[in-house]
Amino acid sequence: MYRGREGQWAFLLHRISGVAIALYLLLHVLDISLVMLGPDGPFDAFLAFYHNWPFRIGLLMVIAAVVYHALNGLRIILMDFTTWGVKIQRQLWYGVLVLTTLIGIPVLWVVVPQILAGV
Amino acid sequence: MEPIEINVKIKRFNPEADSRPYWSDYTLQARPSDRVLDVMHHIKWEVDGSLAFRRSCAHGICGSDAMLINGVNRLACKVLVKDLGNRIVIEPLRGLEVKKDLIVDMDSFFDSFKAVLPFLINDDAPPPAERLQSPEERARFDETTKCILCAACTTSCPVFWTNGSYIGPAAIVNAHRFIFDSRDKGTAQRIDVLNAGNGLWRCRTAYNCTEACPRDIPVTQAIEEVRRAMLFRGA
Repeated sequence: MYRGREGQWAFLLHRISGVAIALYLLLHVLDISLVMLGPDGPFDAFLAFYHNWPFRIGLLMVIAAVVYHALNGLRIILMDFTTWGVKIQRQLWYGVLVLTTLIGIPVLWVVVPQILAGV
Repeated sequence: MEPIEINVKIKRFNPEADSRPYWSDYTLQARPSDRVLDVMHHIKWEVDGSLAFRRSCAHGICGSDAMLINGVNRLACKVLVKDLGNRIVIEPLRGLEVKKDLIVDMDSFFDSFKAVLPFLINDDAPPPAERLQSPEERARFDETTKCILCAACTTSCPVFWTNGSYIGPAAIVNAHRFIFDSRDKGTAQRIDVLNAGNGLWRCRTAYNCTEACPRDIPVTQAIEEVRRAMLFRGA
């Protein structure tokens, strides 16, 4: 592995989160479209299936991916349009990570007990 | 400084004889103040004459001996043993075809460099004296005059590793040097090249180029400046 610094990891995480969000969206659209098959169709069964804990943990990761991708996207806009954005890109990335974590904590606070309780 | 024992691992490959790359291991004495290039000279001259690498000036000016040293692109003549510790791993630059050991095929790299027309374009009649430029106008592109074409930046770029047709940071740096030169009139021609599918919009700002540059050129900054020039000058 090339020993790049913050910028390389910011790029890699941005790419991975972007691909993950796109794949999730595809699955989500397919899933929601099952409602068109009517009340006797497989929609409810799939909904219950996706309520299993591995998918709920997956959903937490989707939330993390969306928040990171959005915030790092703002970082990229600052870098693209300002001179100072490039100069402080490392600090901006740490800011992105801190904000992603701060937004993640209340989500985990609410959702993890639900998953553990099997709600 | 007293010599210390160091272990050097070098990735070797001779396409005419080997089916795949392999590692050569050397244990030898070196001073902490030795450069990696000194260590490689010692190996080539006294241990294993078959080792192949490029070097010319050996003083960080010619740009011949860029290689992947302990996971980062740098010039073997600018990095000291004491900055690496006693385990040194050397690989050829990534993304370019290996000719032998640490020698890579630089043709595509120089093709990209030539594509941005890295020379002054100005067909106006020459003035009686020189084409005058203020110190401020000269300072505008000072950083990008420092490029030595070692390819450390381009071959550290994750986009270049997966798409060898990407024009790469080094070519964009050299385009920047002329685009922001007040005497130059060739911006439109250069922008045609940079605006193409494998031009500067492929940059994903991973900053490996900026970190790798042995001349401390703010490479990503230069790329962003050219991008903004293309956006806002309506080029």
